[in-house]
Amino acid sequence: MSTADILAILQGAVVTVTLSFVGILIGLPIGLGLALLRWADVPVIARIVAVYVSVLRATPLVTLLLLLFFALPNVGIAIGPVSAAILALVMNTSAFNCEVWRAALMNFPKEQYEAAQSVGMHASLRFRRIVLPQIVRVSLPGLVNEMSLLIKVTPVLAVVGVVDITRAAVRIGAETYEPLPPFLVAIAMYAPIVFALVSLQRFIERRQLAAEAA
Amino acid sequence: MGMTNDMAVLDVAGISKRFGDLQVLSDISFTVTRGETVCVLGPSGSGKSTLLRCINWLERPDAGQIYLNGDRIGINNGGVVMSDRELSRVRTRIGMVFQHFALWPHLTVLQNLMEAPVQVQKRPVAEVREEAMALLAKVGLSDKCDVFPARLSGGQKQRVGIARALAMKPDVLLFDEPTSALDPELVGEVLLVMRELAREGRTMVIVTHEMGFARDAATRILFMDRGRVVETGRPERFFVSPDTERARQFIQRYAAG
Repeated sequence: MSTADILAILQGAVVTVTLSFVGILIGLPIGLGLALLRWADVPVIARIVAVYVSVLRATPLVTLLLLLFFALPNVGIAIGPVSAAILALVMNTSAFNCEVWRAALMNFPKEQYEAAQSVGMHASLRFRRIVLPQIVRVSLPGLVNEMSLLIKVTPVLAVVGVVDITRAAVRIGAETYEPLPPFLVAIAMYAPIVFALVSLQRFIERRQLAAEAA
Repeated sequence: MGMTNDMAVLDVAGISKRFGDLQVLSDISFTVTRGETVCVLGPSGSGKSTLLRCINWLERPDAGQIYLNGDRIGINNGGVVMSDRELSRVRTRIGMVFQHFALWPHLTVLQNLMEAPVQVQKRPVAEVREEAMALLAKVGLSDKCDVFPARLSGGQKQRVGIARALAMKPDVLLFDEPTSALDPELVGEVLLVMRELAREGRTMVIVTHEMGFARDAATRILFMDRGRVVETGRPERFFVSPDTERARQFIQRYAAG
């Protein structure tokens, strides 16, 4: 395995990290938005969200991706592999994030919310200042868990031609007839990505604890 | 306007509320004049807390009107139910103290007091901080200003809850069983603060089971049973010679145990 091969896998790592990051960045607030629609029990829309979440959670990511990539052009929507990949990741992760956020919202103490109402905080202020800081904290472990799952499911994006870590390793293995080294390198690359994410979570949690101990 | 009483801070006129088949409040009317301490007494389930929650529209009454210094609460000038923003503006003038304190656990004691004056009333931070510290001194918790609520005892939490309500400088303070969730030995410190507020002439409506407090501190008793105001009067008369049989039985039961 040459230096060029390792660089190729590194390039795949950039793709994996970028797609995961974009998927998380878009999927996280969408998941929160969906959870809020259900929490507020907005008529009709809350039901639609519930169905969306159930269907998305039951759909394998590969199947969803193939559907988007091959079926959307059929109905006149042109979509490239990267866009299809991001769309599939966002749809998938937002459904799971929605449930994590929703659990935190459902357990939010009603009296605290009423206390915010009673001092005259309007809805968006109540949410931003009182509810959000607390549900972020409760949801963090579940959300990070979902993020790490998302990173590890990115190899399926290869079915539409996206070259991620795993896809790059497969190519090199096929060219050199030595599959072991590229796959070991590939595995070694996922670990630090997920580890970095978990470290970030620990850092945030530690900072909160330190603030409260003061 | 309801009753014409230019001293009336709070005017409750004909409030009714039902939850499903249960009529919780039936045609409740009373006024609270400036500086009064009205204690709302009555057996559990008589609708006391619901009445309090209807006053600031945490619970929407089915019928009746509520006026704060002559302004209708909950229904705007166009006769339409107030929007969240309109209700929020009105609620800044009504302080509320909760049974389970309802402090915000992600904020320090001082931040709990400063949150609404800064975020809602948009008052200058330095000025709000100074007033908040003065309020904490008043409830005896100056040294706890930078502590998070989880580190406080129940009595301390409730004193913060009272200070938080006072920080908005409300026209009237509502207390929803402020000592019911406290260990018996912690009740006294909270009642002490409330007695002080009564002495200062704050306008307060207090739902409580503390008969001793009601007897000494109330300017008027409102006795409720099964969603109705059964009897109202000065405490020295209410506790010694109540007009109704139901009040007599209630007082006897509480005096006994």
